[in-house]
Amino acid sequence: MTETVVVEKVSKSYGHVKALNGLSLHVQEGEIFGLLGANGAGKTTLIKIFVGALKADVGNVRVLGLDPEKQKFDLRPRVGYMPQQLALYDDLSARENVQFFGTARQIPNLKKRVDEVLDFLALGDRAGDPVYGFSGGMKQRVSLACALVHQPKLLLLDEPTTGVDPKLRESLWSHFHDLTQQGVTIVVSTHQMDEAFHCNRVAVMRGGVALATDTPRGLMARGHAKVTLWRDGQAETHQMTNYRDELPQLLGVQDSVSKIEVEEDTLENVVLNLIAVKEVNHA
Amino acid sequence: MLNQVFAVAGRVLRQLVHDRRFLALSLIVPVLLIYIMAVFFEAVDNPIFSADDFIPPVGAFLVHFLTYVLSAIVLVRERTQQTMTRMFVSGYRRGSIIMGYVLAYTVLATLQSLIVIIELQVLFDLGFTTLRFFQMYLVIWMLAIISIALGIFVSNFARNEGQVLPMMPLILVPSIFFSGMIVAVDKMPAWVGWFSFLTPMYYANNVIGAIIADDTVTMLLVWLLVYGAVVMSLAVLTLREQN
Repeated sequence: MTETVVVEKVSKSYGHVKALNGLSLHVQEGEIFGLLGANGAGKTTLIKIFVGALKADVGNVRVLGLDPEKQKFDLRPRVGYMPQQLALYDDLSARENVQFFGTARQIPNLKKRVDEVLDFLALGDRAGDPVYGFSGGMKQRVSLACALVHQPKLLLLDEPTTGVDPKLRESLWSHFHDLTQQGVTIVVSTHQMDEAFHCNRVAVMRGGVALATDTPRGLMARGHAKVTLWRDGQAETHQMTNYRDELPQLLGVQDSVSKIEVEEDTLENVVLNLIAVKEVNHA
Repeated sequence: MLNQVFAVAGRVLRQLVHDRRFLALSLIVPVLLIYIMAVFFEAVDNPIFSADDFIPPVGAFLVHFLTYVLSAIVLVRERTQQTMTRMFVSGYRRGSIIMGYVLAYTVLATLQSLIVIIELQVLFDLGFTTLRFFQMYLVIWMLAIISIALGIFVSNFARNEGQVLPMMPLILVPSIFFSGMIVAVDKMPAWVGWFSFLTPMYYANNVIGAIIADDTVTMLLVWLLVYGAVVMSLAVLTLREQN
């Protein structure tokens, strides 16, 4: 499978603050790749480097086979970027916003394309209304429409679901999955752990490095399970890394266990453990 | 390129039309300030400054002040709201953004300059011939456009509105005191002359002085034009994509 994004040992500092610290990761074509981490983990900096809006201090970055800094004018027509801030003109209508950002691309039949993308994001009915009257979720969709209007091969979304209600969040993720069906690769940053399950692979970021890069299932497999067995009215607790294999061995063929309770780590716990291990290793 | 310039200009003009309060204030504020000046000169029997010599440059200064402050703030807002980054990522080029902004605000400046020159004529009866009236309008109009470019240039060095505000007096204070508007530049120490060369009001005031004295203005207008071209080039060259 082709690699859409290649990041090798990239560092970026703002003064003495290191936003990225030797980060490496690879994004495959057609996948939804999540950048998961708290504020200050380096997600926004990384995405801005991908569109050539920031320059890495050291390291190698290739996006769609191009250098985002030196070949940004060749790269940008193929990339859609949705910044963390909405970056919209509030006093203009949804259609005017999308049309304005699409104009620079010289898209053939732009008006038709603008209507298509607004319909795709269920904004067709309000296309002529000024953005200032929109809810937060609708503004997010207008911002996404601006990023999609030129039919990019790679979509870079910086926290697109922040401040969005759960129903709309599901709807946005549904749109993202539809886009991957059309061959679009998506890199999406989020600090909401549950959103990792919408991604094909996730990089857990902390302090400008990727602590782990894996599928959501792969990440979950790094967690532990607390297994409580009741024998003759007595509870005994076991910590297991892989309870599905370990539990049958523990029980044996004939056992007097009357009740079994399994409490698996949540993804949040897995991530917190990864961070704790990293901090212990650094201490 | 032209496609992008017109797209930016069109978008800025649509924003101006939608923001009617802003549009109204931009046109009413100079009218009001000039009227206050008229009341002042009428109330003072023997004014320190001759109204005939003093009023036209002050009218021009008001236009300069408003367009300069306005364009600086608007451009910084583009930066803080990330729309500037989005424009660049969407394919807009530096020159197109600046030229688009200047083109859009030129429409506003044309209207603003016209209102100011008509009000000056009505309130102070400047006694200009049609040619001198047209020349005065041209100076104020050019000054307004140059002030837009100057505002954009200054805003390129600020990350937010808080940073751009302290930069305002850097241009405005020398414009008042060192441009020859109040005291002739040659009556001040030589080094002050260097400050005056940096302000558009110096060049505009020279033309206005020549119009009032009924002298030739062509070369002085050329200097104003050269100053504008330099500021415009600096605005394009220093427009940063990143904060």
